[in-house]
Amino acid sequence: MPEKIKIVVNEDRCYLCGGCAGVCPTLAIEVHSSGWEFIQDKCISCRICISACPVGALSEEPLEVKA
Amino acid sequence: MRYDVVVVGAGIAGPIVARNVAKAGYSVLMIDKKWAIGTPKQCAEGISIKVFEKYDIPYDKRFINREVYGAKLYSPSGYELELRYKEVSGVILERKVFDKMLAYYAAKAGADVLARTEALDVIRKDGKVVGIKAKHEDEPIEIYADVIVAADGVESTIARKAGINTYAPPHEFDSSYEYEMLIEGFDPDLIHLWFGNEIAPRGYVWVFPKDEDRANVGIGINADNPKTAKYYLDKWLKENKIPAKKLLEINVGLVPVGGFVKELVKDNVLVVGDAARQVNPMHGGGMAEAMEAGTIASKWIVKALEEENLSLLQNYTKEWWETDGKRLEKVLKVRKVTEKLTDEDLDLFIQVLSGADTEKIASGDYTEVIKALLKHPKVLLSPRRIKLLKELL
Repeated sequence: MPEKIKIVVNEDRCYLCGGCAGVCPTLAIEVHSSGWEFIQDKCISCRICISACPVGALSEEPLEVKA
Repeated sequence: MRYDVVVVGAGIAGPIVARNVAKAGYSVLMIDKKWAIGTPKQCAEGISIKVFEKYDIPYDKRFINREVYGAKLYSPSGYELELRYKEVSGVILERKVFDKMLAYYAAKAGADVLARTEALDVIRKDGKVVGIKAKHEDEPIEIYADVIVAADGVESTIARKAGINTYAPPHEFDSSYEYEMLIEGFDPDLIHLWFGNEIAPRGYVWVFPKDEDRANVGIGINADNPKTAKYYLDKWLKENKIPAKKLLEINVGLVPVGGFVKELVKDNVLVVGDAARQVNPMHGGGMAEAMEAGTIASKWIVKALEEENLSLLQNYTKEWWETDGKRLEKVLKVRKVTEKLTDEDLDLFIQVLSGADTEKIASGDYTEVIKALLKHPKVLLSPRRIKLLKELL
């Protein structure tokens, strides 16, 4: 099974431009005027958001599977 | 609350729709998640002088930083092509003021406008979209409307939640990064564009003057590039020994440059502007395109409301595709060809054109440009170049 990841934001780099939400195929990212939100259940680990971010504010972490 | 029309997003397309529909006497609410409409922007702020008259927008100096007279293009090895008009050809706006004024014109025409109001989802009744669930500050609100306009930018969340397929893969976007900064040594009456696969993969670096010594200095690159837009812009500034020490503003964003949403209407929901990817794929500018789409959309919204027949909204898709969509499809074709150009091609073409009849180029007669290039010996000796150029004819 492919590795599941979670997307994390570096808030000090993020401009809340909304680009990641735009390229996300599953609406797993929401960008509010007050903050960035990741919806784990919708994420398909495609990493498109990570490479599209103009400032490299997004990265991945392995998703901890509950034992 | 209940309106005839609710518009989500107060960028360029949204306020044009809201203004036109309100002018026709229908009730409109336009919402935007930003607490100051227009801020932050995702834009290099250049626009053709023609749009003011065409879309009935006042030529108000409060949002015009500078008038420009043309463009200067630079090839990877430094060949230059200057296209200068006698008259003002475009302006560099202040989007923070411009967007807010567009919303003001909509409000003056009769529309209600709510800043800091984020659309969260669509409201459905019997499978049909009947409104928008939103949040004004921390207060939840439900907006019921006959017609819903998704003008919510590149995120396009509301259109997608309403079931319109606006999704595009990452290579159909450009990733952009821009400084507003002090910069010297560039003619402030022209916009400046640098091309090259090392400089800006698939895109270009721009200097759009807002003042004699102040400009938007930005870059667009393919969004699926492993490096960031910021990386390439900082590299370009460093290599050209341009000090980036007086930075007044930083803006970032993604630009849809790879094609347009096919179905622009689903039942009573319309998608306009960046949300519909209605952007010029050649230069990545989308303001004029948003104004055009907003104008067509509002025309059919008014007709549909007048005749109490929402199926007329479908004519927005039809008319857009027959007019601006058709034009932009051609531009997209050109863009796809230019994507294949090597740095040597760019050097050669700009070198040849700088010696050609720039009046013709400036007038936008592409066929003449291609013909001029096809006559050049270095083009004639290369079957690949001939093939590329012929694709453009």
